[in-house]
Amino acid sequence: MRFLKEIILFVLFLLFISVRGNAQMERQRANVTEPVETFWTPTLISQTTTETLQARNLNSTIMHSFGIATTNAIQNFFGLDNIQNVRLGLDYGITDQWAVGIGRSSRFNVVDIRTKYAIMQQTTDNSKPLSVALKGDLGIITQENRQPFKDDVSILLSAIVSKKFNQTLSLQLSPMYGYYSSVGAGQENHLFSLGVGSRITLSERYSLIAEYYPVIGKRNSDTNNAFSLGLNIQTGGHVFQLFFASTRWHLEQYVIANNREQFWAGDFRFGFNVNRIFGL
Amino acid sequence: MNISDPPVKKLYYIFAGLFLLLLVPNEGISQSYLTKSGHVEFDSSVPLHSFTGVSDRLVGKIDLQNSTIDFYVDVHTIETGIGKRDRDMLETLDAENHPFAEFYGKLVSDFNPQNSQPQNVTVEGEFTVHGVSQPLTINGTLQKNSNGLHVEASWTLNMKDYNIKPPGILFYRVSEKIDVSISATLPPKTKTK
Repeated sequence: MRFLKEIILFVLFLLFISVRGNAQMERQRANVTEPVETFWTPTLISQTTTETLQARNLNSTIMHSFGIATTNAIQNFFGLDNIQNVRLGLDYGITDQWAVGIGRSSRFNVVDIRTKYAIMQQTTDNSKPLSVALKGDLGIITQENRQPFKDDVSILLSAIVSKKFNQTLSLQLSPMYGYYSSVGAGQENHLFSLGVGSRITLSERYSLIAEYYPVIGKRNSDTNNAFSLGLNIQTGGHVFQLFFASTRWHLEQYVIANNREQFWAGDFRFGFNVNRIFGL
Repeated sequence: MNISDPPVKKLYYIFAGLFLLLLVPNEGISQSYLTKSGHVEFDSSVPLHSFTGVSDRLVGKIDLQNSTIDFYVDVHTIETGIGKRDRDMLETLDAENHPFAEFYGKLVSDFNPQNSQPQNVTVEGEFTVHGVSQPLTINGTLQKNSNGLHVEASWTLNMKDYNIKPPGILFYRVSEKIDVSISATLPPKTKTK
C-alpha cells in the first residue's frame, strides 16, 4: 500500500507541474547590448564627440554664433545684431561606426569635409567601458583672397575618448592636432590642444554642456584657450543647444588657432546649434 | 500486501497507465504553441513625424486547451531606424525599470483548430507597458497551418492610458496614439525544444 501512496503522490506532483506549465510565461530580458548615449549629439558645442550616427542616418546641423554679448550690450542687443559665423552641415552614417560630413561656415566661406570613425563604443552592459573615436577634418577657405589654393587649407586630426560615468555625468578628452598651410607672423603651422568636454544631465530634456580647448605647446600670439558653456534641450526630434562661447568658430582647428577672447573676463558671445537626425 | 495480489495489481496498472499518459509531453495534450521571433510594429503617424518601431523578438505563447494568450516583447529590441530615437523612446518608457510590453489574456471567441482558414478571434486580457496595466480587448485572426498557429492582431494604444508622456516641447509633439500590430507564427511547443 505504501507503494501505491507513493505513486499517487507522484501523479499529483506531475499534475501540479502540468498545471503550472500553463501559467504565464516567465519574462526573460532580451540580450541587447547597445552603445550608451554619452552625449546627445555628434558635436558638443564645437568639439566633436564620440557620439556616432547609425548607418543611413543623416544629421543636419545649423550652428550660429553672434557678437560679443558684453560689448555695447544694449546697442548691439547683447551681440545679436552682429552675426559672426553660421555653419550649415550634414553628416551621414555610412555604417554604425563610420560617418562622413560636409559643412560650410560663413566666416571666410570655409567649406569643410570631415569623417569620424568609432573604434570602440561604451556599451550598456559595460563590457566596453569607454568610447574611442578618430576624427579628421579638412577645411578649405573658398572666399576670394588672392592666395593660391594650397594656402587655404587647414586640417584637424583628433582622437576622442569619452566615458559616461552615470546617468548624470559624461566626460571626454580629445587630444587634437591642427595644421594650417599658410599662416601670418606670430602664428604657427602646427598646433596642439587637449580638448575637454562634459555633459551634466539635468533631466530627460535638459543637460548642461561645457568644453575647453587648452592649447599645448606653442600657440598663436594673442590667443587664449577657448571655453564654452551651454544648455542642451532635447525635444524628441531636435536637439537644441544654446550656449555662451568665447570663440566665433564652429571648427576645431579654427577654435584653437583663432580664439582671442577670454571667457571668464566677460568676452563671451551667444550662439545656438540645432541638430536634427533623419533616417534615410 | 504484495503488488502481485490481483486487486493491487489492477490499481498498479491503472496508475502506471496514468503515469505513462503524463509522460506524453504536456504541451502535446494542451495544444500549446510558442514563438520567440514574432513581429511587432508600433506606428505613430503624425505629419512629418511618423515613425515605425519594429521588433522581431516578440515572444508569444498560445494555449488552445485553456485558451490562454501570452505575449511579451523586451522594448529594448524595438528599432525605429534612428539610433537616437530608439534611445529617446527607451527613456520615455523608462525601460530600465519596465523592460516589457506584455499582454496576457484569454481567447473569448470560438476557434476551430481543424479549420485551416484564418478565423476572426477576440481575446480579452491585460496589456502592460511602462509598468501600467489596463484591460484590453483585441480582435485579430488566428490560423492553423502546417507550421503551427499564425496570429495577426492590431489595436491602438493611447499613451496617456499608460502614463507615458510622449516627448515634445517647443514645436513638436508625437501623437498620443500608437497603432500596434503583431504578426507571428507559433510552432507547436514540442517542436521548438
